[in-house]
Amino acid sequence: MQATRKRGLHAGGAQRKRDQGAAWRGLPFVLPYLPFLILFGILPAIYALSLAFTTSKGKFIGLKNFTKTANDYRFGPAFEHVFLYTSVWLISLIVFVVGLALMLHSRASKATSTFRFLYYIPGALAGAASVLVWLFMLDPAVSPARFLLEHVFGSTLFVQAIAPGHLPFIFAMIAFWTGAGGWIVVLYGALNTIPPDLEEAARIDGAGAWTIALRLKLPMIRKWIAYMGILSFATGTQLFVEPQLVNQASLGFVPDTWSANQLAYQLAFRYGKFNEAAAVSVDLLLIGLIAAVLIVTRTGLFRKED
Amino acid sequence: MRLTSRSLRFVILALFAVFFVVPMIWLFLAPTKSDGALVTSNPFAFGSFHHIAQAWDHIDAYSSHLYRRWISNSLLYAGSATAIVLATAVPAGYGLAFGTFRGRKLVLTVTLIVMIMPASALVLPIFLELNSLKLIGNVLSVILPFAFYPFGVYIAYIYYSTSMPRDVLDAARIDGCGEWVTFRHIALPLAKPVIALVLFFSFVADWNNFFLPFAVLAKSTQYPIQVGLSDLLSSTPSFNPAAGGGGQSVNIFRPELALATLLAIVPVLAVFMVSQRALVRGLLGGGVKG
Amino acid sequence: MSSPAAPTSTASGNLTVWVDAVRLPDAKAYQAAHPNVKMTIVTFDGDGNGATGLQTKIQLWNKAGSGWPDVIFSEQVNDPVWMAQQPFDFAADMGSLISKDITSQWPATSLGQCTVGGKLVCLQDNLAPNVLWVNQKLMTQFGYTVPKTWQDWQALGQKVATEHPGYIIGNSGDSYGAWTYFWGNQCPLESNVSGTKVTINAADTHCTEMATLLDPLIKNGTAPPLGIFSPDFAKKYGGATDKVLLMPGPAWYAQDVFGGTLHIPAGEMTATTPLQWGTDSPITTGQIGGGPWIISKHSANTAAAADFVQWSTTSFNPDPTSKDARPGLPGYAPLQALWLAGLAKNPYFAADPSPALKAAAGLIWQGWQLVTYPDQPVWTNTVVTGLVAGKTLTSLMPAFGKALGQAAKAAGYTVATS
Repeated sequence: MQATRKRGLHAGGAQRKRDQGAAWRGLPFVLPYLPFLILFGILPAIYALSLAFTTSKGKFIGLKNFTKTANDYRFGPAFEHVFLYTSVWLISLIVFVVGLALMLHSRASKATSTFRFLYYIPGALAGAASVLVWLFMLDPAVSPARFLLEHVFGSTLFVQAIAPGHLPFIFAMIAFWTGAGGWIVVLYGALNTIPPDLEEAARIDGAGAWTIALRLKLPMIRKWIAYMGILSFATGTQLFVEPQLVNQASLGFVPDTWSANQLAYQLAFRYGKFNEAAAVSVDLLLIGLIAAVLIVTRTGLFRKED
Repeated sequence: MRLTSRSLRFVILALFAVFFVVPMIWLFLAPTKSDGALVTSNPFAFGSFHHIAQAWDHIDAYSSHLYRRWISNSLLYAGSATAIVLATAVPAGYGLAFGTFRGRKLVLTVTLIVMIMPASALVLPIFLELNSLKLIGNVLSVILPFAFYPFGVYIAYIYYSTSMPRDVLDAARIDGCGEWVTFRHIALPLAKPVIALVLFFSFVADWNNFFLPFAVLAKSTQYPIQVGLSDLLSSTPSFNPAAGGGGQSVNIFRPELALATLLAIVPVLAVFMVSQRALVRGLLGGGVKG
Repeated sequence: MSSPAAPTSTASGNLTVWVDAVRLPDAKAYQAAHPNVKMTIVTFDGDGNGATGLQTKIQLWNKAGSGWPDVIFSEQVNDPVWMAQQPFDFAADMGSLISKDITSQWPATSLGQCTVGGKLVCLQDNLAPNVLWVNQKLMTQFGYTVPKTWQDWQALGQKVATEHPGYIIGNSGDSYGAWTYFWGNQCPLESNVSGTKVTINAADTHCTEMATLLDPLIKNGTAPPLGIFSPDFAKKYGGATDKVLLMPGPAWYAQDVFGGTLHIPAGEMTATTPLQWGTDSPITTGQIGGGPWIISKHSANTAAAADFVQWSTTSFNPDPTSKDARPGLPGYAPLQALWLAGLAKNPYFAADPSPALKAAAGLIWQGWQLVTYPDQPVWTNTVVTGLVAGKTLTSLMPAFGKALGQAAKAAGYTVATS
């Protein structure tokens, strides 16, 4: 009895020591990252947030910037545009990216890595670099996709292809073209972390390729898909590059305040209204955060796996 | 039965490949044609090698070899920043995945919030910070902000928290290995795929970033390639009617722009191919028994 | 061809200039000719096409309290207007830096465009008045006479649509369409600009009559709502078998657009004086562009800055056929004369276009002033999208006026409608 108690006490001491150690465990690994997080993440974010609630002279004015920007004649259309765009793009992105990643992963071969490379190449083309490409791709007179433009979009001229009604779909297509490859690479890497023994076991049990993909692999990359969902929702609502590049390609035919993020940018840099721009940015941040919270809580992104 | 599902898979993959690749084929063939031929000839027609050489001469002559400078600048910025990212983000992901320190969830949450914040809202405060540190106009004003890469931290975090078996690490700890040794000898080698991913994405993000370098750099000799390409774009008369009246002396037309673009993506594709090698299957197989 | 003799300059010290790629030879030549000046030449994209690059940089320099260059060349003709006002407050008073003997040699409209709040804040590197570009070869081939009035131009368009369908006498889809057709006809879409007041009246007869004149031509395809720079335009109307009969357009179209962009062969194009409304009213035309030079009011070396601007606009390379040709019609009268003489010898044109350019430079309507907000995108977003969808220009004018008013108000202007 006494021996047990003694061991019990001893165990308690070690446990306390482990608990104390636990309060700091992992921190040294995170420390080098923290200065960057603070300097280029937290402090600027706080500054931007404070801008949204003050005047240019620093006086606190509550929600005035928010109401002022909400009444701007470009605000409503800009947010309508991004919501339509995001719904089209996000769904197609997640469905196609997950689908393609699973398909690629079901048979690893030379063809697989070739396909992965081909899917990725457009991702290397950013901003100004792609203006030229899309000017020609969207002009039915010279585009290799003339058939598609004429029969699906009903356009025989460049100005018809980029008519206002087509824009959410055009931008979704461009954004998918540039962004899908990168996410396919990420998900493919994620699928690679699934122990092959599990897959082997399932195959022995008689599961076909589809079953393995949908019942085994898909749930195991849940966290990755959640992360992709959060980021893509934010990237979608914060659409900037695609309308900006079509604006450049079309010499202003597409307005430079088509999306909410473009509006924020113009408010800040063309008109010098940094406070109002910050208000629009905070609007976008809130939308992104709501989606993030929903996704994080429902998929347990922050929970630690067993 | 299996044959048809395999060929269906191949057909779908191939159709998507066509979608992704066709515009790039066009871009690849564009420098072989003259500006007029770009408009009149078939999109997939091949022009001549002579045109490519001519286009390169024009690009190189632009502002006395400024193009080469832009590329080397981009290599410097993206390379140095990515080195710092690898040193900070991968350990951070590990620490966040396995750590139990107070504030772990806070760091995760704050990182996510900062990632969701529209980047254009952060440029002004970052500029003001760098200005107060007297770094504006210095290349560090580009490299240091680039070295902050929360996306990389999250990739490492998710990777470690979903795929690294705790048993292995716990076993190492019980054996008396310190945290650092565990990380260095067990967690790090097993993380080759995520290191490749973080390296790759960080490099590309830095390579493609336009607005931050534009805002903080003072001289055109410091520009990275993205800012430079924007300059070239504006010197092309068909994109900038205001440049009309001078396009001829500057000699940048659409084929030149196409070539400049193609050359600018070569380093990115090279880094991709190198990192792809690490995305090999079954790296963890054998790490855990039973 | 030699440049007019420049007075020996005593400029020295440091000088930072921002120029686009086209003006770079000019900056380099200045450095070579003035070894006492330590120049830092920064090339940038010229801030053309509605970009906000310069607004961004100036704001950041203002907030940092340093970093401003001494001289900026901009491709956006309205840049000096916002540069001279809050919150940018960047432009120096050039009138006090460059002598009146020199500046008085620019046309009054040019100086007027560069005058904000009573101060001369810029000097235009080149003028860009609208002329009527004529395809002499095709016009002679079809037996048409070159119209002198808008009404004759419209009548010709009706003829062309039936006799030679597929040929065009103009286009309505460029972002500067309003500047081409409405500025010249004295339509008040940017008028009576003083401080933050502007008059926008799209219902004025000058506007509605032009819209009514254009509608049949847009409908019958002789003035299609396409932009001259899109690939399909070049494919449809350019090349060896080009279909451009006439084209109201700015002086800088010249060889760069017709030859370089549309690939129309040599020996076809020339220019004639801008169209007149009826035969009673005087000829007035619009202006599309004309890059301004701006000196920074924060400059520590205004002497060298002014010297550089003066040199660039009055001395540099007037021969339009030389290797580093000064692009565009110079504003400075003596240089302009030399430049036009060089243009007259350009073998690309079927006939000498220089008299038309020279005349047009003096016909620009002064009633249209520049504003801080970009109005060209309003034309494309409101009008051209509607034209492409099949609506008439007349029906789009009220919406156009309204949208212009919104853009003006968003930029802080109060809008009067008469």
